Amino acid sequence: MKPTTSISTVTICAAGIAAVLLSSCTSAIQRNKDEKKRVTSPYNPYPPGILPGDLNSEVERVLREVDLVENRALARWHALALPIVRGQPPTLQNTGTEAIETLGELMNFDRNMSPNRNQACMSCHMPYAGFGGPIPSVNLTIIAYPGTAHFRVGKRTPQRHAYAPFFPVLQYNQTQGLFFGGNFYDSRATGVLLRNPDAEQAQGPPVDTQEMGFPDTACVAFRLTTAAYRPLFELVWGAGSLDIKFPRNTEAICDIPGGASTFRGNTMPIDLTPEDRTKANDAYGHWGQSIDSYEQSVQVSPFSSKFDAFLAGNYNLTADEMAGFELFNGKGNCNSCHLDGRGTTLRPKQHDTGSAATVNPLFTCFGSANEGVPLNPRNAFYYETTPDSLGFVGNPYGFGYRDLGLGTFLRSGFGSGPNPNSNWTQFAPSVDGQMQVSSARDVAMTPPQCPTTEAGSRPYFQKGFFHNGYFKSLKQLVHFYNTRDKFAFPVTSGHCPPGTIEKVTCWPMPEVKNNIDMTSGNLGLSDKEEDQIVAFLETLTDGFTRPYPNIDVFTGTCMTCNPVTDPNCSPSRQGNGSLIPTPPLPSCASVICSAPPATSPPIP
Amino acid sequence: MNKTLARDLNMNTLLLKLAVTPAVTCLLTSNPIAAQVSPTTPRAARVQITQGPAIEMNKEFLTIVRWTTNNPGASPEHYGVVHYGTDPKNLSETAKSPIRLNPDHASTVFRVRLDNLKPRTTYYYTVGSEEANGTDDGAKSAVKQFTTPGESQRAGRSRAWD
Repeated sequence: MKPTTSISTVTICAAGIAAVLLSSCTSAIQRNKDEKKRVTSPYNPYPPGILPGDLNSEVERVLREVDLVENRALARWHALALPIVRGQPPTLQNTGTEAIETLGELMNFDRNMSPNRNQACMSCHMPYAGFGGPIPSVNLTIIAYPGTAHFRVGKRTPQRHAYAPFFPVLQYNQTQGLFFGGNFYDSRATGVLLRNPDAEQAQGPPVDTQEMGFPDTACVAFRLTTAAYRPLFELVWGAGSLDIKFPRNTEAICDIPGGASTFRGNTMPIDLTPEDRTKANDAYGHWGQSIDSYEQSVQVSPFSSKFDAFLAGNYNLTADEMAGFELFNGKGNCNSCHLDGRGTTLRPKQHDTGSAATVNPLFTCFGSANEGVPLNPRNAFYYETTPDSLGFVGNPYGFGYRDLGLGTFLRSGFGSGPNPNSNWTQFAPSVDGQMQVSSARDVAMTPPQCPTTEAGSRPYFQKGFFHNGYFKSLKQLVHFYNTRDKFAFPVTSGHCPPGTIEKVTCWPMPEVKNNIDMTSGNLGLSDKEEDQIVAFLETLTDGFTRPYPNIDVFTGTCMTCNPVTDPNCSPSRQGNGSLIPTPPLPSCASVICSAPPATSPPIP
Repeated sequence: MNKTLARDLNMNTLLLKLAVTPAVTCLLTSNPIAAQVSPTTPRAARVQITQGPAIEMNKEFLTIVRWTTNNPGASPEHYGVVHYGTDPKNLSETAKSPIRLNPDHASTVFRVRLDNLKPRTTYYYTVGSEEANGTDDGAKSAVKQFTTPGESQRAGRSRAWD
């Protein structure tokens, strides 16, 4: 064969091969673009008025704030003195603690931990809200936050991260007949594997279909390999800990939100070898542990409130704050669940002469309770009954969904997680409707420019309280504890009888009637006494003894109203302008309310 | 640039920065874990009903029975128990509601919900209480009675307990 012909043949073949490869590559890129295009097509099954009008701009606003804090954390990392590895076992001496806490902070504020690179953990948990929900209009309306796939939305308010790390591993206490510990409202982050519920909570949102939304937990490790802070990760968790042979299609997979029909229910679509899957799982565990380390630090949980100063003798509670404190322990009986560190069983005729707690009380018992909160029809979750552009359906049961909280988790039920302990399942009927007792600390935290959570003559930061955000002010929350049964009506929200005012003189019926805690409901508190308890709750806000880090990054707008012209411009009626009538409720979906062991009594 | 080289360069850059950057005042310290759960307190030698039982609320859709005892102690979660029925000699129905003891308090208020009773019906009842594991506190009332309102009646008596 003449060389020229050979060269020509090779050239043709090479060109042909290149053309095929280019075609394949182009097809892959096009498929990826098509997927991205589908991903970015907004999902909007909601009736008009359900989504707040400023949702897109507010989500973008929070992302800018997330990036700002991330940059601060990067600067802090770069200024960190290198820890010295010493001892046996080898330990990062001196700045090892700061290293892991800074790593956790960087992870929390990394928007790349989502398929569309548009959602960080902190998109829903910003410092100025006590690491709770950062968008006032969302808190007022849909109460849960859109995930990476807009507008898939979850079903509960974002819990505050502050003091969450102190919850113990979920346990059933035989003597007390109660569950304690875990994270999430339904305690499904048990801590069973990492021995730390807060760390396991941090593992949830990255793969929650309605939140950060990765389709595979290995995507966390995958995105960590390209994270700016990868060197810090490997400093803390070991060189080579991210050396994983990811298949070539990993990037394409991790760009698609979980739950997409293309995955056909497969929760591990990335085809890793067993060894690499283990490495990816280890990285996923270290992700959670790093975040927990940050959340346990003084950046998040500093015990720097007025109340802490009071305990140390450095602050005198005002008359109303002290009155509220005494009511909290006395007639209000709040500290039976929101433990304030005191507690002495008194004998007859004995008077309580004990002083306030000298330890740092967490204002929770780590347990759960059903307070009989009404169903909130504003919750976007009820409307997600149709598939999005990826074929995912968030809630096929619509208003047939009932949030049984811990009860659903113990049954490994819809919308919760797998229960790792079959010995617990039998207790499900006794805990149906129960939600975790949150720490009361930082319940009133707001950005400095919006000095209160309560509507009135001052600018305020709108929050949503309890798991379904039904309560829009601390006043309403306390009033509910005080009068839930006194003003009970057999109606759903939006249908209070004429002559009554919802949340003032009318409380709709509980979403779940089973196991309602009767410690509260008719406390006999006066209006002033309710206000005093609110004043006391406000003393639990961190940032008094020293500044609360990153509380200054809120760039949104405080809400304002005119109490003269707006009848709902008061803490008592706050948010009532956004009430909507609950549609006729279908029976509870059998997959929820008929799952064994059966609810007792049956839930309609 | 492959990932290993990029990582090495990043690490070298980090080390260089660390070498020339003064130490930062430690801003991040860990907090001591202050685990706390509701305490199990000593069981009272004797539990007695000191007030009630009485009907706190008697609406067409909800009746609440209320009574007070000395603090029974033991498990922090307790249950008020109402045995009731339309025959005073056969109180065949049972309603239980959880309450949370407060170890600071010398007395404990028990309140139990009775949902979906029949209208215009006289019910007889006794009350008692038990720990979370079902151990009876030992206090039990005499048989008492109440009559539910009719369906056409609006909310019945409901008052805050003094």
